[in-house]
Amino acid sequence: MRCGGSGRSLGSNMGSALADNGIEGRQVVDGILERFQPARADDLLPLLQQIQDEYGYLPADVLEHVSERTGIPTSRMYGVITFYSLFHLEKRGRHTVRACRGTACHVRGGQGVIQAAQNYLGLTDGETSENFMFSFETAACLGACALSPVVVADGVYAGKVTPERVEQMLRSIEAAESAG
Amino acid sequence: MQRIESVESFYRWQWELASRLDPEAKVVTVCGGTGCGAFGAEAIRESFLQEIDRRGLQGQVSVKTTGCHGFCEKGPVVVTLPEQVFCPSVRSEDVPEILEQTVLNGEPVERLLYEDPVTGSRVAHDHDLSFYSRQQRHVFRLNGILDPIDLEDYVSRDGYAAAAKVLAQMTPEQVIDEIREAGLRGRGGAGFLTGVKWGLCRAADGSPKYLVCNADEGDPGAFMDRSLLEGTPHAIIEGMIIAAYAIGASHGIIYVRAEYPMAVRHSGIAVEQAREAGLLGKDILGAGFDFDISIHQGSGAFVCGEETALIASLEGHRGMPRPRPPFPAVRGYQGKPTNINNVETLANVPLIVLKGSDWYRGIGTEGCTGTKIFTLAGKVNNTGLVEVPMGATLREIVYGVGGGIPNGRHFKAVQMGGPSGGCVPARYLDLPIDYDSVKETGAIMGSGGLVVMDESICMVDIARFFTEFVKDESCGKCAPCRIGTRQMYDILLRITEGEGELEDIDRLERLGEAVREGSLCGLGQTAANPVLSTIRHFRHEYVAHIVEKRCAANSCKTMVGTSCVAACPAHVNVPEYVALIGEGRPAEALETIRRRNPFPSVCGRACDHPCETFCRRADLDEAVAIRNLKRFASDEVKEVGTPPVWNGPREGRVAVIGAGPAGLTAAYFLSLLGREVTVLEKEETIGGALITGIPAFRLPRDVLARDIEYIRRAGVTIETVRQVDSVQDLLDAGFDSVFVAIGAQESAELAIPGEHLKGVEDTLAFLRQANSGTLAQVEGHVVVVGGGNAAIDAARMAQRLGAESVTVLYRRSREEMPALDEEVEDAIVEGVKMHFLSAPVAIEGNGRVAQVRCVEMQLGEADEEGRRRPLPVPGSESSIAADRVIIAIGQQANLGLAEGYEGLEVDGRLFRANPVTQRSGESPVFVGGDVVTGPSTIIQAIGAGQRAARAIDMFLGGEGELPAERVLAAAVMPGESVMAITRKPLPVLSPKQLHGAFDEIVQGYSAPTACLEAQRCLRCDLE
Repeated sequence: MRCGGSGRSLGSNMGSALADNGIEGRQVVDGILERFQPARADDLLPLLQQIQDEYGYLPADVLEHVSERTGIPTSRMYGVITFYSLFHLEKRGRHTVRACRGTACHVRGGQGVIQAAQNYLGLTDGETSENFMFSFETAACLGACALSPVVVADGVYAGKVTPERVEQMLRSIEAAESAG
Repeated sequence: MQRIESVESFYRWQWELASRLDPEAKVVTVCGGTGCGAFGAEAIRESFLQEIDRRGLQGQVSVKTTGCHGFCEKGPVVVTLPEQVFCPSVRSEDVPEILEQTVLNGEPVERLLYEDPVTGSRVAHDHDLSFYSRQQRHVFRLNGILDPIDLEDYVSRDGYAAAAKVLAQMTPEQVIDEIREAGLRGRGGAGFLTGVKWGLCRAADGSPKYLVCNADEGDPGAFMDRSLLEGTPHAIIEGMIIAAYAIGASHGIIYVRAEYPMAVRHSGIAVEQAREAGLLGKDILGAGFDFDISIHQGSGAFVCGEETALIASLEGHRGMPRPRPPFPAVRGYQGKPTNINNVETLANVPLIVLKGSDWYRGIGTEGCTGTKIFTLAGKVNNTGLVEVPMGATLREIVYGVGGGIPNGRHFKAVQMGGPSGGCVPARYLDLPIDYDSVKETGAIMGSGGLVVMDESICMVDIARFFTEFVKDESCGKCAPCRIGTRQMYDILLRITEGEGELEDIDRLERLGEAVREGSLCGLGQTAANPVLSTIRHFRHEYVAHIVEKRCAANSCKTMVGTSCVAACPAHVNVPEYVALIGEGRPAEALETIRRRNPFPSVCGRACDHPCETFCRRADLDEAVAIRNLKRFASDEVKEVGTPPVWNGPREGRVAVIGAGPAGLTAAYFLSLLGREVTVLEKEETIGGALITGIPAFRLPRDVLARDIEYIRRAGVTIETVRQVDSVQDLLDAGFDSVFVAIGAQESAELAIPGEHLKGVEDTLAFLRQANSGTLAQVEGHVVVVGGGNAAIDAARMAQRLGAESVTVLYRRSREEMPALDEEVEDAIVEGVKMHFLSAPVAIEGNGRVAQVRCVEMQLGEADEEGRRRPLPVPGSESSIAADRVIIAIGQQANLGLAEGYEGLEVDGRLFRANPVTQRSGESPVFVGGDVVTGPSTIIQAIGAGQRAARAIDMFLGGEGELPAERVLAAAVMPGESVMAITRKPLPVLSPKQLHGAFDEIVQGYSAPTACLEAQRCLRCDLE
């Protein structure tokens, strides 16, 4: 199972959103917790999903705060978080690029597309660039097999992608960002 | 939206909405599915709105975003109403024309219409497209019509009528009976009877009860659930209301993958709308039934598609399965009775309730009723969503709906059922597909994902691919699954990297059994299926990887390198010489070719070019015209040239029997390796089958002579009119090794009456006479029997020699014809008549042939190789007048040389040799070319000669190293601009010029054209 982190314990050198954002950051997580009153064990997944929607990942100090408020141990959170591939314990890039490695994409040259994106970004599966511009990951199947190979950049689907095309996509994201 | 308080007011509302539908309204429907979205559907919608605005057509023409039309390959898809004109791959610049001509005037825009990949004709209306006309869309009927998030749109087309009927008129037991009698089976994969499942949950003690819609569609290759939830979310909600009523559930959950954002959004909106309308919540339609739905997103774990894992996930845990029983129907979510149905299953429910179980049972097979939605993807022309009755064959789906395999490649297998399924080979193409029949093949139907694979897909790599997937997705609970899949993956990886051993195949089978036996849930129990099914059907590919270090699909990167080079039996460095041509350096290109193949002039004309079949550019548009480029290089360089001749003393004497392509190739390389080589040819001419088999109009003799002269210059001695009767004589005469390359020149028999009449001859005898000039004229009617290149060559030669008519009889259809496509086309242009699906049953005449009696054939079920068996049509016999009959149905070897020498191994009507070394057993004799393979291609013979040369050199104590490859061309990766260059055709002669020409009839490229064509190469060798 691919993990969001590399097996380190919670709170070592992972993100600390509350320290970064102070009161404001705390208000965000408290706002989410308001929706789960009282928080039950089976609320854990939606709770984590909503936290991640807000922060972009699951910052360690936020999780500790949630644990204090809900009584759900961080160890249990960690078990759940590392089980599901969509949860991330580390800060993510501003742009998420996901390439599909499903069967249909595989037989229509998806491997070359993944390779080209990785070469261009200098990132392997699951990594984030140092300047937090890009996070690159692959997905088991994005369910758009008729368009294979498929790449999703910032939620926008692109079909019949070639190695050249994925480089072009990445270049245009960079250009858009540097243009402001 | 006002809450609907009773069933009566619901019906009144429905009637009002339905009566407002205007069948004549001008509507532009734009597909809003994820597929079309990826191709820019939103921009197209905007363009239509702007154009309507600009022309002041608001109120006259409306634009509507619908669910997925299913033909994702052709996105963005637009269908204009009321004419139902199908506009594929629409671009913004086409919008004004479509609006003007099609929407306003009802006239299709010819150039924008769909072009049928099989017939090439343009099709205007969606129901006439073979993609749609061969489907039976029931579950999917509204997907391309409705606005997915418009409740009224759904209600106006009988939406929620089934729910209303159930609430008003049926008891829960009646609903369960109806579903059970319909025979509906769960569409998620296991195929359990839905009615029975509901009954179990209804009967279970406990309250509340839960209903879960499983939309955690994780199978790579399947996307029907996504499309249904995106396109008709209300139909799923309606199915859930009916199911909940039947089992007595008060709460429903849609568990949907977070990877499907549009499905999440649309189902959320639809639930809100239904709640507002009183179709969900307390006292639905005043019928006293309470039911509500919440939406829960998955977080990226494939195993959560399994029922008990899904429940664990819903309860906030790691998604790990638990043993069953107790089944979820008894103890499920929160320990309460829970019923879990797949999206597609629930989508069938309203249909059954409205139309009745009798109607439903009329569709599909006896054991599997209704339709099944398949997702068609991979190497097939029409990808997308396909709904067909249960029991449809793979051939109907892949060829009928899917339009066959692109790029002239052949079908190899279809992967069914994702990681739990397997690869179904060609011989099952005619098997009616349902839950039970698919199991025979070692696959499962699963959720219906079909990924089509052609000959460029390696089956071992596919097994590795799926095993990697299950290894990653195994939850880790059961050791056999967690550790076994890892072990299997490691073994598969080393096989694909050329490091496997034969015992690995047994290990994989044993491990597979252990994982199957020792795992708790469906994921583990089926995890080995992709491996076991590929071993079962494609064991030879595993063996080739292990023994020959060869990947038949030319795709395993570490073993193959560049696919065109790997596909060439002589392994010519294609990208290098193509690049040199692109740089305007044809002489160096020619020399690059000759380092692996001494017949560039021949192969530039008459090669069947497997390199092009496996060219990766073919996946984007068309293959690089490698053969034409090779010809250009050989035409451009007029001098014969000088080979890298061996300068030292020659050691080891080798005799080569037969001066055909295999023999001369072996002689050429052995000579370059410093051996003393003598070629012994029984005929007066040199070239073997190149002369007897290929007419001069395809291979001019001066061209052939140039290649032969080059081979001579390498130091080869060729003696003609030298009949060899005994291999032993040669060994006794002091030759250290012998290479037997005598070809397959004995004709096979048709085994029909009249075969020995005067005027009946075999194709080689005919071509030999014609090519040598002893037969200068052919009179009367000629009938040629066969479908290979020899048959077509004979027919074209007979036509040239003045035959009144020439007819080719071939027992299968054009598609199956082994002759090169371009040859067949030229023959037809020249006036040769092709009778496909026609076989001779007798040759009749009084002493001399007068007519051929034929029977029409039809194609039956697939044989072992997936080719459809020709079967005679009873009572369809007819006669064709014939003065000459040429039999071209496959030659055999003359095995005389085996007599008196035990070292030569015989296999049926051919010789046997080691496929890697061409050696015959442990003897000093090597064998290669048609004499081993039966009639094959020139490049196969050249490859065999090259392999034999290396092996003989090693046998004589050498290293067996061919002339070193050089890298002369610049290592420049092509830019995006080369994608715009289309494949360049060869200049063609007019039919009139073609007709009588004995000279070469196909002209080569000009230098500028060759240069452009060469630039199309993607330089896969540099990756």
